[in-house]
Amino acid sequence: MSRYAMVIDLSRCNGCNACVVACKVEHNLPPGVLLTAILEKESGQYPDANRIFYPVLCNHCDNPPCVPVCPTRATYRRDDGIVLIDWDRCVGCGACILACPYDQRSYVKDDRTAYPGGSEYRHPALDKAPAGVPVKCDFCYHRVDAGREPACVETCPTGSRIFGTVAGGERPLDALIARNAARRLLPEMGTEPNVYYV
Amino acid sequence: MARVKDMNTGESSATGAARADDSWVPTVCLGCYNCCGIKVHRIKGRVVEVAGDPQSPNSEGHICAKGKARFLDLYHPGRVLRPLRRRNPQKGIGVDPRWEEISWDEALATVTAKLRAVLDEDPRGLVIAHFDLPGYGISKAFGTAFGTPNFHWNRADYCGAAPHVANLLLNGSFNGEIDLDLCNYVVLWGTQLGHLAETIPLHSAHKMADARARGARLVVIDPFCSNASAKADEWVPIRPGTDGALALAMLRVMLVDLGRYDVEFLKKHTNGPYLIGPAGEYLRDSESGKPLVWDAAGGHARAFDAPQVQAIALEGSYVVQGVQATTAFQMLMAHLESVSIEEMAAITTVPAASIRRLAEEFSSAARIGATVQVDGHALPYRPAAIHFKRGSGAHRGGFHTMVAIHLLNLMVGNLDVPGGQRGVNPVGPFWEVEKDADGMLVPSAVITKYNKPYPPREPAVPTTFDLQGLFPAGLFTRGMYPWAIAEPGRFGIPYRPRVLLHGRTNLMMNSHSAQAMAEALGRFEFQVSFADGIDETVEFADIVLPDAHDYERWDLFPANDPYAFITPGPGDWFWLMRQPVVQAPEAARPWTEVYIELAARLGILERFNEIGNETWGIAPEHRLDPAQRHSVREIAERQAKTIVGEKFSAERLRESACFITRAKTLAEAYPRPFLDARIPVYFEHLVRTGRSMKALATRLGLDWDLSPYTPLPRFFACEALEERGEYDLFIVNFKLPFQNHSVSAENLYIDEISTANPYAYRVMLNCRTAERKGIQDGDRVRIESRYGSETGTVRVTELIHPECIGIPGMFGHWAAGRPVSARKGAAFNNLLPAPNSRRIDVISGQIDSCVRVKLIRLQGAVR
Repeated sequence: MSRYAMVIDLSRCNGCNACVVACKVEHNLPPGVLLTAILEKESGQYPDANRIFYPVLCNHCDNPPCVPVCPTRATYRRDDGIVLIDWDRCVGCGACILACPYDQRSYVKDDRTAYPGGSEYRHPALDKAPAGVPVKCDFCYHRVDAGREPACVETCPTGSRIFGTVAGGERPLDALIARNAARRLLPEMGTEPNVYYV
Repeated sequence: MARVKDMNTGESSATGAARADDSWVPTVCLGCYNCCGIKVHRIKGRVVEVAGDPQSPNSEGHICAKGKARFLDLYHPGRVLRPLRRRNPQKGIGVDPRWEEISWDEALATVTAKLRAVLDEDPRGLVIAHFDLPGYGISKAFGTAFGTPNFHWNRADYCGAAPHVANLLLNGSFNGEIDLDLCNYVVLWGTQLGHLAETIPLHSAHKMADARARGARLVVIDPFCSNASAKADEWVPIRPGTDGALALAMLRVMLVDLGRYDVEFLKKHTNGPYLIGPAGEYLRDSESGKPLVWDAAGGHARAFDAPQVQAIALEGSYVVQGVQATTAFQMLMAHLESVSIEEMAAITTVPAASIRRLAEEFSSAARIGATVQVDGHALPYRPAAIHFKRGSGAHRGGFHTMVAIHLLNLMVGNLDVPGGQRGVNPVGPFWEVEKDADGMLVPSAVITKYNKPYPPREPAVPTTFDLQGLFPAGLFTRGMYPWAIAEPGRFGIPYRPRVLLHGRTNLMMNSHSAQAMAEALGRFEFQVSFADGIDETVEFADIVLPDAHDYERWDLFPANDPYAFITPGPGDWFWLMRQPVVQAPEAARPWTEVYIELAARLGILERFNEIGNETWGIAPEHRLDPAQRHSVREIAERQAKTIVGEKFSAERLRESACFITRAKTLAEAYPRPFLDARIPVYFEHLVRTGRSMKALATRLGLDWDLSPYTPLPRFFACEALEERGEYDLFIVNFKLPFQNHSVSAENLYIDEISTANPYAYRVMLNCRTAERKGIQDGDRVRIESRYGSETGTVRVTELIHPECIGIPGMFGHWAAGRPVSARKGAAFNNLLPAPNSRRIDVISGQIDSCVRVKLIRLQGAVR
C-alpha cells in the first residue's frame, strides 16, 4: 500500500527556518503555533563543539496513537497515509495532544492572526484552524492533492526535505531510505512514522 | 481541516470580480539587498503569500524565511499612511515628536522651501541617507543635480569597505564568491556564504549543500559557531580582530615553509616579477616609464611587457640602474620569513599545529598545476577557495587583513578559475576590466559603483562628509559621515550640514552608539524622513513622508545590479524588474517618485534627467527628454530596453520578472585566464599615496597613524586587542539566517522564530567563562563598554570563544513605532563609539568593530 512520506536530509539543513515561516503562511497560523520547527542542540565541548539542526513535524504514522484516543473520531488517517483532523467533529478535549509521543500537536487558544491593533492577515483560499482545536502538520494535503509539494518542501533553499510516496521498497523514496539507512524517531513505540531522517 | 477550501473554488473566487483579482505577480524581493526573483500572490487587493520564482536563476523557486514572511510588513498597524509634521521642537532618544498629520501639498511646500534655502546658500549642505540599493540611481542623480556630493550616507562602511577593496584589487569585482560546483576545500572566514546570510543566498545555499554532499570540506573561521560553522567539517574559533595574523601565518607556511605557490600564475597574472627599488617603488624603464622585470634569459631588466622578455624572473635580487632591485614576490617572501607562526598562534589563539595543517590542507587541495577541460578549453583547475567578508574585515587593519587572506587565494592561482574563488562578474555584456600603463588591473566603473581603489587618487582636503579626500585608495567611506558632520571644520570642509533627506536606513541603530548618532543628527537644521514606520531614526524627523513598500513600487532596472546580484560563474545573464503588486495605501508614495517631484519643484528636473541619462546607462535611442517629467517606471522601461532589447515586454513581465539575455561566454564565466591585466602581490601604490597622505595629514593636523600605508600585508592590532584591565571580554556580532539588519525584527513571523531560537534574543557566553564569573544560563546582565551599555539575557554555551560575548543580529529596538521588537535582544552597535582616528582602517575607511566589555550581573533571570 502506497503512502506519503518525507525524507529530511539533516546534512543539508542549515537552520534557516524558511520552512517554518512557509508553514505558518500556508496554514494561517496564529502567533505561538507551529506545525514544523527546527530544533537545535549543542554537542561537544569548546573548541570541538557543534550544533545540530533537527526539523520536526507530524510523523504521519502508520499506527498513529492520536487516532484511537479521539473520542469523536475527528482525527483520522487517510488511505494515502496522511493523518488529518476534522475540526467540525473535534471538541478540543486534548487527548490526541497527550497521546502524540512526538509532541507534534498544538492547541489553538487564540486564532487571531494580526499585529496587536492591526487588521487580520490571512490567506482566504487556505484553511485556518478555529480557536479551541488542536493543529498539526497535514503534509499540505491540499497541495499534495493538487499535485504540488508541501509548502516547506517547495520553500527549502537547500532541498533538505524530500517528499514522495513509499510502497514497500518500490518507490524512489524507498530506495533513498534504504540507501541511506534512514532513521525514524522513537521506533520502539511501534508507531511506524513516515518521516525519515538521513 | 474539514473546513478547507479548495484552492480553485474557495471564497476568493466567490464572485466574478474576486476571480479577476486573484493573481501571482512576479517581482523582486527586497527583504535584504540580494534581489531574489519572487512571485507575490494577491487576492482581492491584499498580498497573501510569497514564493520564489522558478524562472529566476537566483531563487530557482525557493525563498528564505525573511522573504516568505515579509508581506506581513504591509499590514503592520504602525505604517505611516499620511505625511506627519513634528510639533515638539525637542529631539532626542525617547522624546515624543508629537506628530500631527498634514497634507502632501503642505509637506512638500515645507520641504521644498528648506531645500531651496540650502540650494541658494551652498547646496553641499544637503545630505542624503538611505540604504535602498535600487534607489541609488535616483538619489545620485538628484544629489548631483542639486549640487551636493553627500548623497550616499548609510552603514555600508561598517560592512564591506575593506573586503570590497580587496575584491576589486584582486578580482576586479566588488564582491567575492566561490565556484561551489567544483570547489573541494571551502574556507569561510568571518562570513556565512551559502547559509542564507550573504551574497546570492538562495542559489549559494543550494550549491553549498550540494558541494558538501559530494564531499567538499568546509572550514569556518569565526569566534562564534554560526549556522555556517554548524555545517562545517571544522570550526576554527579565533580571537576577534586577529584574522590578519592568522592569514600572515598561513601565507608564511605556504610560501616559505612549504614552497607552495602557483609560479605560472604569479609570473603571468601578477606584479610578482616587477622589480622594486630601494624606495619601495617600481623601478621603471628610463624611456617608457614602465615597470621593469628581470629577464633571466638575457640577464637584464626590461619593461614588463617588452616582447623580448623570454624568461621572466619571479624571484631574486639584481643590480639594475646601479641600485639593488628585488622582485615584488621576493620582497613578499622576505617579509613573510619574519612572521613567526608561534607568535601568530599566541595572538589568534589558533594553535600553531592547526595553522600549519590548515595552510597545508588548503594549498594541497588547490592542486596547483592542474587543468580541467571546459567547453574545449584547458583552464586552470584550483578546487580550493577562501571567502571573506565583514567579520574578518571590520577592524583597524581591515585592508591588510583582507588582502592577506586574499593573497592565500592568489598564491594558489585560484582567482576566477574553475573550482576557485571568484569575483562577482568582473566582466560582462557591457563592461570590461581595464589595465593601466603599469599593466595593472583597473576594475570597470559599472562594477565599482563608486571611487575606484586603484589607481589611487591624489589625497586632498576633504570636500565631502565621507572624507573621500583622505582615503585615496579606498572605495567608499560612508562610515565617516557622522564624524565629519559633527566636526566639518576639523577636516577643512568649508560648509556645514543643514538638511538631511533620509529614508530606509536606521542610522540610530546600525552604526554606533545611539547617543553619539543622536548628536550627529542634531547637527541638522531639518530632517525629512521617508518611512513606512516610525523607527529610531525617523523619530528625529521634522517631516515624515509616507513611503511605499517595495511591493508597491517600480524600481530602476535591473533590480539585481550585476556587481553583486547576478550569479557569478557559468550560467545566464539575467535581469530582474521590480514592479508593484498592490497599490500603496492611503497617501503613501514611493520615495523615488517624490524625489522626482522635488526635482521639478526645485527647478532642477532638466539637470536631473540629463545626469540620469548618463547615470542610468540609457542607450541613445531610448534617452529621456530632459525637459519632461518621467516616472520611475518610464525610466526603468528605457533601461530595460537598453539592456534586454526586444526581450522586454509587458507579457513577459506578467509571467516572470526575470529577463534572460544570453548564456555567459567562457571568458565571462571564468575571466582570469583570459585577462592580461595583472593584480598585485605587492601594493606599490600605497607607497606613493602614503607619502602624499602623510604630508596632507600634517597639513590638516590629523593625528592619524598612517603606518598601514605599506606595500606588504602586515598585522595591525585593533585598539581593543591592546587594552587590558576591567574590560576583559570582546563582543562579537554575527548574522542569523532569518534576520536582516535591524529591519526584519518587527515582523511577527520572524519575531516568533527568533523567540523560539536558542540564541537570537540572547547574549552568548562560553561555559568556562560563565563558570568563572558565576553566571548561569538565563541570567540578566549589563554589558558595558567604555562607549555604551546594553542589557541582555545570557545563553551559556560551548559555541563561542571563551574571551567573547556573542551578540547576534541587530536587536534591542526602542522606538514607539516598533512594538513587536521593542526591548528584545541586545544592540551590538550601541557598544561602539563614533568613528575616531584610532578606530578606523586608514586605507579603506572600514570602521573597527572590536570592542572590549565587562559583564555585570543584574537581578532577575529567564530560566
